[in-house]
Amino acid sequence: MFDIIEDGDKMDLNQKLEILSAAAKYDVSCSSSGSKRSSKAGSLGSVSAAGICHSFTPDGRCISLLKVLLTNYCIYDCAYCANRKSNDTPRAAFTVDEVVNLTINFYRRNYIEGLFLSSAVIQNPNYTMEMLTQVLQNLRTKQNFSGYIHVKAIPGASQELIDKAGLYADRMSVNIELPSDHSLKLLAPEKKKEDIFKPMKQISTNITAHLAERKKFKKAPIYVPGGQSTQLIIGATPDSDLSILSLSQKLYDKYSLKRVYYSAYVPVNTGANLPAIQNPPTLREHRLYQGDWLLRFYGFRAEELLNEKNPDFDINFDPKTNWALNNLQLFPIEINTAPFDMLLRVPGIGVRSAQKILSSRHLAPLNYEDLKKLGVVLKRAQHFITCRSKYHGAVGLNETNIRTVLRPKLDLNIADNPYQQLNLFDHMRDAKMQPAVIFPKHFQIPQKLLLAEDALTSLTGEI
Amino acid sequence: MKEYIYDNSFDGLLTAIFYAYSEKDAVRITKDMNDLPNLFYEKVTVITEQDKAERVYTSLNSKLSYETLSNVYYLYLYNDPAVDTLILSYVKLCFKCSSTINLAKNNDIIRTVDKYVRRVYGEAHRFHGFVRFKEVAPSVFYAQIEPDHDILPLIVSHFKERFSDQYFIIHDLRREYAIIYDLKEAYFKDFSIEEGKKIVLSSQTDCFESLFKSFYQAVTIEERKNERQRRSFMPKRYWKHLIEVK
Ligand code: SF4
Repeated sequence: MFDIIEDGDKMDLNQKLEILSAAAKYDVSCSSSGSKRSSKAGSLGSVSAAGICHSFTPDGRCISLLKVLLTNYCIYDCAYCANRKSNDTPRAAFTVDEVVNLTINFYRRNYIEGLFLSSAVIQNPNYTMEMLTQVLQNLRTKQNFSGYIHVKAIPGASQELIDKAGLYADRMSVNIELPSDHSLKLLAPEKKKEDIFKPMKQISTNITAHLAERKKFKKAPIYVPGGQSTQLIIGATPDSDLSILSLSQKLYDKYSLKRVYYSAYVPVNTGANLPAIQNPPTLREHRLYQGDWLLRFYGFRAEELLNEKNPDFDINFDPKTNWALNNLQLFPIEINTAPFDMLLRVPGIGVRSAQKILSSRHLAPLNYEDLKKLGVVLKRAQHFITCRSKYHGAVGLNETNIRTVLRPKLDLNIADNPYQQLNLFDHMRDAKMQPAVIFPKHFQIPQKLLLAEDALTSLTGEI
Repeated sequence: MKEYIYDNSFDGLLTAIFYAYSEKDAVRITKDMNDLPNLFYEKVTVITEQDKAERVYTSLNSKLSYETLSNVYYLYLYNDPAVDTLILSYVKLCFKCSSTINLAKNNDIIRTVDKYVRRVYGEAHRFHGFVRFKEVAPSVFYAQIEPDHDILPLIVSHFKERFSDQYFIIHDLRREYAIIYDLKEAYFKDFSIEEGKKIVLSSQTDCFESLFKSFYQAVTIEERKNERQRRSFMPKRYWKHLIEVK
């Protein structure tokens, strides 16, 4: 256990914590799930496979890990980043002991599941990676800590350092950030594509190798048991949803990534190559999460959801509804006989309700009223199904009609337009409504829109 | 019409089920702590009998299924005076139709059972995260919680496993009892609100509380404020004991 920190030091630590956690906050991969680390009696910590949220910030995101940068001093100058060299921003650097101390003490109070350690690049990539690894080594070997650790692999760091860090971490990630070569050249010219994909490939190879080892020898060391993840920034560059989702799909296929996170670009800088946006495109981010969800759990492929002709999601519809409307010839399907993977493709039927349908229809055929009880969202599903051969859709199996009834009253494209302040009065005039209140200048996307029935499960709903 | 009143224990509930099961008329089962006077029911006080409880336990587990038994336990922890009577209807339904009835997700009793079980389970999962320990003496940690349902029995093993090298107490203020872990065993003990107050008053300030508050504020993204979402994941009623929002 640590001694209580002295007062003079405490001020210092508090300031550092403020700077270095604020600097890490745009990294969205908060989740702590999907790993397994058994705890030893008499030592501190365990890892829960389901993931645990300890708190939620006012923006509704889950706090699971102590997410900090080791330092925000950076030798690089990536255009989109708040920590870039050319920014005049407060800088700080933790010592190894300080991070260890905070982690252990937050953990003992049950504030966190563990540590998420990232860093700007100080001196050079190897030096930075070495420091990160020291923190991990100290936690695991000196403190006997068995909680969750997620560490960033610093692009450009040596193979040995990445191998070593992986022996202590539950999850490792290399952030791609920019979804294409072109965008990378534009906004982060000092970073090379190879520097990002090389460690990613190496981690994935190591994971496979260690898994094979463990099949033979139970005692072989575990290596990044929680897998690796990455993050893409949405809306800082002109990349289409199609190119983004195809990239994700490749990452899932090729490097068996556990997750790709999407982060709506929050304009922290200005620059010639940066878009002059006013609002982070959170709805677009949401649609991408939904699309990603369809890739991972619903058996869809990116090229089914989007194509060269329609490279971006229509923000007014969730991706599954979008897909169903474009493939209306496959519908309606009969609830009482359709196979599981086809049930999953019906808008308004999620994994859980599909399972419930399967379980209950096996006892007796289901009627339309039953579906509501099973959690099916009939508002969307009615158009695509029959129940005991009867079709219940209110407007017939007609694409235009279905689009009309499912389209949100307020066109979401207006709300999610990142390039201009939303002028609600214009819109209200169109809708022949009287504005009842004066909206503040910095109008935010109305929460109701964000929490439409296809709510943001994708952001936090880990499986 | 009879109302069976039992001593709040799980064995008491099983004993009550044993006696109430064969009643022909409408019948109610109620926990002693929820007992209210009423004119229509004839009150019967159930004395817990170990052997009867065991018989019901075994037949739920072997004649029905482990799932049914575990549902009965989760329901027992659910905070609603009418839940014990629901348990009886559920058990009767299962014996009538065999435990495959659990698959009938369109049956009203099964739906209610699933819903309640999910709530208890969900709250227990939430409290893996929402417990906040304060270091009240060197290496001694104390937490207060006020969950809707009686979830201490469901979270004890998680905390015992995770914090096996520190003394801790998790105190349910609503039900006035606590988990106490002494580095070897974890056990339950009655624990009054007064006792809890004393512990807090005699402790020093824990400097990591303010550090965690700083962290909480620093990671918030102003541009993305979404109060509704925060409340749906972390309902206001829990905030009293969460130091970062207190
Ligand atoms: S290397 Fe990382 S921290 Fe440094 S400027 Fe680029 S994105 Fe920011």
